[in-house]
Parts: sequence; structure tokens; C-alpha cells
Amino acid sequence: MKYLNAVLTVPTSDPDDARQRRLLNILLLGTLIAALIGLVSIVIFSILNPDIGQADAQILVIGIVVFTLGIFGIYQVNRRLSGRWAALLFLLLLTVIFVFTDTPQELVRGRSLFLFTIPITIASLILAPQASFLFAAISSAIIAWLGISIGLPINVFVTIGFFILALVSWLSARSLEAALKELRAVNAGLDQLVAQRTQALAESLDRERIEAGRSRAILNSIADGVIVFDRKWNAILANPAVRGMLDFPLELIIDKNFSELIDHPKLAPKSRGLLSAMMEHDTQPVGFRIEWGGKTLSVSAAQIYNRTENMGTVTVFRDFTREAEVERLKSTFVAIVSHELRTPLNAVLGYAEMFKEAVYGPMNEKQVNMAERIIKNTQRLLGLINDLLDQAQMEAGKLTIQMASVKPADLLESLHGLMDKTALDKGIKLTSEIDDSLPELLSGDAARLQQILVNLVNNAIKFTEKGSVHVKLFYPSQHKWGIEVADTGHGIPENELPYIFDTFRQVEGTATRIHGGFGLGLSIVKQLVNLMNGDVKVESKVGEGTAFIITLPLVAVEATQTNWRAP
Amino acid sequence: MSELALIIEDDEDLASIFAEALRGIGYEVELVADGRVAQERLKSGTAPFLILLDMHLPHVSGADLLTNIIKVDERLSKTMVIITTADARMGDTYGDQVDFVLIKPISFVQLRDLTTRLKPKA
Repeated sequence: MKYLNAVLTVPTSDPDDARQRRLLNILLLGTLIAALIGLVSIVIFSILNPDIGQADAQILVIGIVVFTLGIFGIYQVNRRLSGRWAALLFLLLLTVIFVFTDTPQELVRGRSLFLFTIPITIASLILAPQASFLFAAISSAIIAWLGISIGLPINVFVTIGFFILALVSWLSARSLEAALKELRAVNAGLDQLVAQRTQALAESLDRERIEAGRSRAILNSIADGVIVFDRKWNAILANPAVRGMLDFPLELIIDKNFSELIDHPKLAPKSRGLLSAMMEHDTQPVGFRIEWGGKTLSVSAAQIYNRTENMGTVTVFRDFTREAEVERLKSTFVAIVSHELRTPLNAVLGYAEMFKEAVYGPMNEKQVNMAERIIKNTQRLLGLINDLLDQAQMEAGKLTIQMASVKPADLLESLHGLMDKTALDKGIKLTSEIDDSLPELLSGDAARLQQILVNLVNNAIKFTEKGSVHVKLFYPSQHKWGIEVADTGHGIPENELPYIFDTFRQVEGTATRIHGGFGLGLSIVKQLVNLMNGDVKVESKVGEGTAFIITLPLVAVEATQTNWRAP
Repeated sequence: MSELALIIEDDEDLASIFAEALRGIGYEVELVADGRVAQERLKSGTAPFLILLDMHLPHVSGADLLTNIIKVDERLSKTMVIITTADARMGDTYGDQVDFVLIKPISFVQLRDLTTRLKPKA
């Protein structure tokens, strides 16, 4: 079959030409086979019927041999020279052969007339569509000439029939060519599209390769240990930092299930629960710390989603040993400061009070005054220590709000008890009022609310030279209540307002030296208010005064005794 | 007869200030500076009228003394208890079990005024 295909196909670049020449080859092969069958039939026939004239048989055999040679010649022309010429020669050969196949009588009006339709129809296929007309004309001429030679009139109907046949052949060949042309155009478009797509695919594969290489390089060079798990928690990727972090080779991690990591002897038993929980509830990103072979590691895990499908989890391990140690030291430091600094100061305060109270006999005015100064400075120092401790606790997230019943009137009474003397000493009037509609009992942390009030009032007195400090507890809406502390002090410049709640900051930088303090008071107020889910804002005009306005959620008194931790 | 006040406080200076405040208003004062010693003292001897208990003590903590002895010993059922601590949270935890909580720093005057009020009227 392959050999036959090679014989039939003509190597040429024009697809139309190739098609026509191949079709011609098929026809040549067909006629050759028909000729050979004819030859064999004649031989057999003449053997079976010896009466047949030897001369007739000889002519037939010679005719077939000449025809066969002609076909070979045309095949060579078709293959080597030109399809057009070969087709023309083949059609002419057919026509000539047909002329000799029967008597002129039969050819002009009888059984063999149809033979001429063969070259007319195939001319349009193997030569050119319009060639049908040429062979219709040739065939008509031959029929006319044959008719005249035997004394018959010209058969006009035959001529008309030939031309109608040529017309039909021409039309069908043309539409076939048009359809092929269209098909080839579509094919060419498709080819182009395929080429473009192939190119784009190759480019994107290249990009992907580069991207993957880059991602890999980044992953390999980061200091945090990264392990990527698939949906079934089997490790599919790990970077070299993991090796140092967990102290075992990467080969022991890849393809291993997460549960093996949980069972590893280096993992502290108390950390097992955290990792198990992470594995069981793998729907949200988490972060926590684990103890691993003497190290503290911070673990954060996030799920990888492809649209909505969970593809697995990326876990990042960071060596937190040093930070954990620092935090532990800080906590210890805070505890030590809390106890060891306050105790001796308490003793200083106590002894000074004993002087002032004349416990060991009468004191003169100067001695009492000195004792009072010692008391005042010690209290200031204790206040600063408290601020520092509160700040440290808030930074560590350890400061909690303890909700209980609070009487707003008590808050103000206690505030006056603590601050009246300070105000009086500076010649400033400290006044207060409570909105009539404010409930008599609220839910809140009395100690922290007191701290907020004292800090704000202390601050107001500190920055007011003359006039008054007014405290108001108000009730702006059903679910809120508020504290307002307004003074007639020198005010805060507008450009400083955004920074007044910052830690360790006082307005204009130099104020710290004039007024003393760490600049922690307002920062602590803001943080406490935030812990209570409230809001604090400040309104100020230079030369006229400042007002701090705090709004807090009004919690129903029934919902007391609940402790919550800072978020 | 004056009321007996037992001051359990490991800081010598604070103990002396507290003692001075209480003596000044007529209490008889007994000082203990160690948790273990306090434990033994509470189990025997005269039941004090008032205990001033520091929550941070060597060997046995004030919290242990409070929950294991003071609150369970029948002899001490009428004794008034004031705890002293620097930790406000400790005050919140044990506040319900005692008569008063004093958060350090404790003022001489404050303690004197409080204990004066506690003393039965002559």
C-alpha cells in the first residue's frame, strides 16, 4: 500500500497540481489494469475460439500494447514534466482509442457513443474545468467527421448533449475547486492558530520554568523553615532552612505525613496538642509557638486555595528561641520591678508619713514640710513605676479588663479624694457633673476607669496654669456612655494632635523637662480605652483649652463578672 | 486588754511601719517574717484579733496560709484578715475571702485609719 502510494503521488508543492496529477495517475493505473484484463481476455477468447480471425486478434493485441506503452509514457510525463501535458495526452489517447473501439456506425448513433462522455467529464477534473468544453468540441468534431465519412447527417443533438455535459462538468469542477480553496484557507488559518498557540505555550512554559526556578531560589535562601503539605498532610516541599530548624535531613521530611512530625521525640509534649489541633482544624490560618529540642519555634500555617478548593497547607517555622528568652526576661524583670522597687518605696513613704504624723515626738513646721515633700516625690515615683509596669503589661498583652458593677458617682467621689489636693495646691478648680439620665449602676473595670480619670485629670492640671478642670460623665445614646475632661490650659497645637497618644511623647519634645513624666499617661489612657472597646478623641484650641472625650460601650449590669483578655 | 494583731510580713521596714501604726492606736503587735513560722504560730497560741497578711512570703505563701489554715481553722473564725499585696490581680482573686485588701504601696495613715475603725469601741 505504501509502495502504491509512492507510485501514485507526485512530488510537487502546489496542492491543486498534486491532486490533479495523483488523480491522473490513478486513472492511468485503472486504464492499465483494464487494458491488461482486455489483453488476457483476448488471448483466452482466441484460444477458446480458434475460428476467430488471427488478424483481428493481432490488431487488438498490438493496439493494447501500444496503449499500454502510451500510458507508461504519459505516466513519466506526469511524474517528471507536467501534469497538464500528461492529462492532455491521456485524454487525447483515450479519445483516439475510443475512435477505434467500434464501427463508425455504432460510434455516431449507437452503443459506443457514450464513450466520448468519459474524456469530457474527466477533463474538468484532471486538466482544468474549462477543458471539458475543449473535449466536447473535439468529440463533436470526431462524431461529425465519422458521420460524414459514412454518409450520415451531422447529429446536432449529440453536440448539444456534449456541451451540456461539459457545462455540468465545468460547474461541478469549479465548485469543487472553490470548496477546496476555502477548505485550504480554513486549514491555513488553523495551522497559523496552532503555530501561535504552540509558541505561546512554549513561552509560558519557559516563563513558568524561570518563575519556578526563581521561587525555588527564594524559598531556598529564606531563613525561615518552610514545609508545604498536601491536602492529606503529606510533606511535598521543604526548604533547606527546615533542616537547621528541626535538626534532621530534608529526606526525612519529604513524603512524610505531618503526624510523624507530631510524634517526633524532639517535640515537647505540651506542644503536641497545638500541632494536632492545627492538623484537625485546617480551615483558618493559625500562629503559635512550639518547643522543639530546646528551641522555641514560632509556627504559622495558612491553607492554599485554588479558587475554593483546599490544596494543602504552607507551614512556616521561625526560630523564636532568642525572642522567647527576651520575653521571659522581660516578664521576670517586670515582676521584679513590680515587687522589689515598690517595697522599698513603700518603706520610704511609710517612714516619711511617720515623721509627718509626729509618731516619735513633736516636729517643727520645716520638718513636717520636708516629710511632705518626701511623700509627694515618692508618690510621683510610684506613679511612674505603675505607668511603666502598665505599659509593659499592655505590650505583653497581659493587661486584662475585669468587668464588675461600677457606680459612676463613686468614680467621681474617689477622683475628688485623690486629685482635689493637687488641684488646690496649683490654685485650679476641679469640678464635676453626671448626666441625670446616666444609669446609676454600670458595668466596667472600676480600677482601670479610675486610672483613666486620674491620668486625664492629672494631665489637665499639669498643663493648666489658671482656671478650671471640669469632669463630666455623659450619656450620648442608649448603648454608650462617656467621660469628658476639659481644661482651660494652654491647649495643644494642631500639628501635634495626631501624636499626643504616642508612647513616651510630650508635646513640643521639651515639655518633659518642664512638666516631668514619661509621657505615658495619655498612651495608657488610649490603650485602656481600646481594651474596653471604646474610643477617645481630643479637641483643643491653643490658648483656650483642651477636652478629652471618651466614649465607652454601655454594658448591661447583668453581664458582669466576666473577664476578657485584650484582643 | 488590748487586741492582738499578728503582722505576717517579710520586709523588715514595712513590718516595722505597720507595727508602729497599729501600736500607736493601742493594738498589741506580734511580728512573723516567714511563711513556715507563721504556719506554726497560727496552729497554736492565742488567736489574734487581726491578721495583716502579706501574700508574698518565703517558704509558705500568704495564699497557702489563707486557704489552708486561716479559712479552715475554727479558732480563727472570728479573726479579721487584711491581705497586703503589690499585685492588684491577687487582690481580685482573694478579695471575697478576706475583710480587706490593701494594695502596696500602703500608706501609714491609711492603715492606721482603717485599723482604728476595726477596733471595737471601748
